[in-house]
Amino acid sequence: MLSKAIFKQTLKSNIKLWLIFTVIMTVLHVLLIVVFNPSTISDMSGLVKDTPLASLLGEATFLGMLSNTFYGIHGILLPIVFIIMTANSLIASQVDRGSMAYLLSTPTKRSTVVLTQATYLITSLLLMILIVTVAGFISIQTFQGDTQISLSNYFALNIGLFLLMFATSGISFFFSCVFNLTKNSLAWGAGLPMAFFLLKLMGDVDSSLEKLKYISMNSLFNTDAVLHGENYTIQYVALAVVGIILYMLSLRVFKQKDLPL
Amino acid sequence: MPIIEIEHLTKDYGHSRGIFDVSFSVEAGEVYGFLGPNGAGKTTTIRHIMGFSRPQRGRTLVHGLNSWERASDIQRELGYLPGEIALPESLTGTDFIKMMADLRGIKDMKHTKALINKFELDPSGSLKRMSLGMKRKLAIVTAFMHDPAILVLDEPTSGLDPIMQTFFIEFIKEEKKRGKTILISSHIFSEIDATCDKISIIKEGRLISSFVADDLRHNKSKTYEIEFITEEAFTRFGVELMSIQQIEVLTLTPHKLQTTLRINDADINSLISLLADYEVKFFSEIKFTLEDYFMKFYDRNSNDAGGAIPDVLHRN
Repeated sequence: MLSKAIFKQTLKSNIKLWLIFTVIMTVLHVLLIVVFNPSTISDMSGLVKDTPLASLLGEATFLGMLSNTFYGIHGILLPIVFIIMTANSLIASQVDRGSMAYLLSTPTKRSTVVLTQATYLITSLLLMILIVTVAGFISIQTFQGDTQISLSNYFALNIGLFLLMFATSGISFFFSCVFNLTKNSLAWGAGLPMAFFLLKLMGDVDSSLEKLKYISMNSLFNTDAVLHGENYTIQYVALAVVGIILYMLSLRVFKQKDLPL
Repeated sequence: MPIIEIEHLTKDYGHSRGIFDVSFSVEAGEVYGFLGPNGAGKTTTIRHIMGFSRPQRGRTLVHGLNSWERASDIQRELGYLPGEIALPESLTGTDFIKMMADLRGIKDMKHTKALINKFELDPSGSLKRMSLGMKRKLAIVTAFMHDPAILVLDEPTSGLDPIMQTFFIEFIKEEKKRGKTILISSHIFSEIDATCDKISIIKEGRLISSFVADDLRHNKSKTYEIEFITEEAFTRFGVELMSIQQIEVLTLTPHKLQTTLRINDADINSLISLLADYEVKFFSEIKFTLEDYFMKFYDRNSNDAGGAIPDVLHRN
């Protein structure tokens, strides 16, 4: 089912990118936790009260601030860029360049190639967000000992972030399996996740654009629902299902298609 | 027993590109040449043999297994050398060989090491910085490392220097002696001519000729060119020729006093005794090469000078 040899090669060619993104994301996350100070947030809220940015900044609690910064922008955008680059290099670029021919001229099944590459993408995202979460947890204990923070909500946010990235990686990986040319794989595999990200952001900033939110998959990761104790299970399950279906479709498409190798 | 069978293989890419009703088969222990210009459909056919593409009509079998349905199974006994060398650039040559050995389940690296020495390959460097020739050699080593019974080689000598090309052709001949079944695609006449038992020529996606190479090499009918010294001799010869059935006149060029004619080896004495009565300036054989034969299919207006069309045409 999985190929150790392919996984080793994939790891070798992709680990640098993963490391860079994981470090940037972890540092950013820790910084945002460290600099939090309830009074600065209140000051800022006052400053932007009547501007469209007010809704972006949100409420002045610790997790409220984090969900409008990290879980709304940086923490989403960074892994999306990582996903776009990695998903393309895992399948489409190898077909486009022709190096896939070597893998398939051995007794390796196409399904083994897809499953191994998908395993790398999912595992790398899981580890990335796990490292961010652990670093975040330690920083909270160290720097925000006095602040009232619901740890279960904090972990729920990170689980949601992973599920959203899992579904997003499904999109990029799917298009990487569909297209034989890198440019097409990137056009769709980068275009759609970026569009979802921007639509959600625009919907959040301006209430007149709120409808845009509902055509974005990213709205399924609803940080407000998590923070206000509303039910978010259905959305989380939906993200998981979207991801699983897309990975299954990827496998199917790649097994059936003509390869120009 | 046919090892590679291609039956009515059709893949239409539109705009009259693709391959159309291609059929031929490669018998065990045979070296089969697949000749055609760039874009004629050689690589498309090979893609189907490898199971990378699904045929629109027809099928390809390797060892009796359908290439599309059993792609991973046929690779166990097959070595493939792609036409375009696109190695994973993030690896070193050694990594790449190791990966291919792992994927093939090779534990004993003796044969691989022997190949590396034979081709004087230095695999230690990064693939990104390797010269094209070195990458080629690396691809050759990985195609032969599991000592497969079948080899599919897509333009194997392109990118090799002339010495390496000759070396590779010798290597193919050795592999043939060891009983390997080999399919070579190429647009270089000499390498096909030097190695192949049977040859198919493909043009614009269609097989236009399949024949046994030896029939062409040892053709019993040969073409000669003769020039006469005097116009009188030329004219008289032209008249006398009419009465001799065994000689086939291809051209008569009065202003040069030249003629070309085709005659069977068995009848050559009658031509020589006939010529004895004439003042001949020169008398030479026009050597027939595979290249001439090949070019004939590309240039429909070429005068039919040289050689003969082999009478054995294979259609499997």
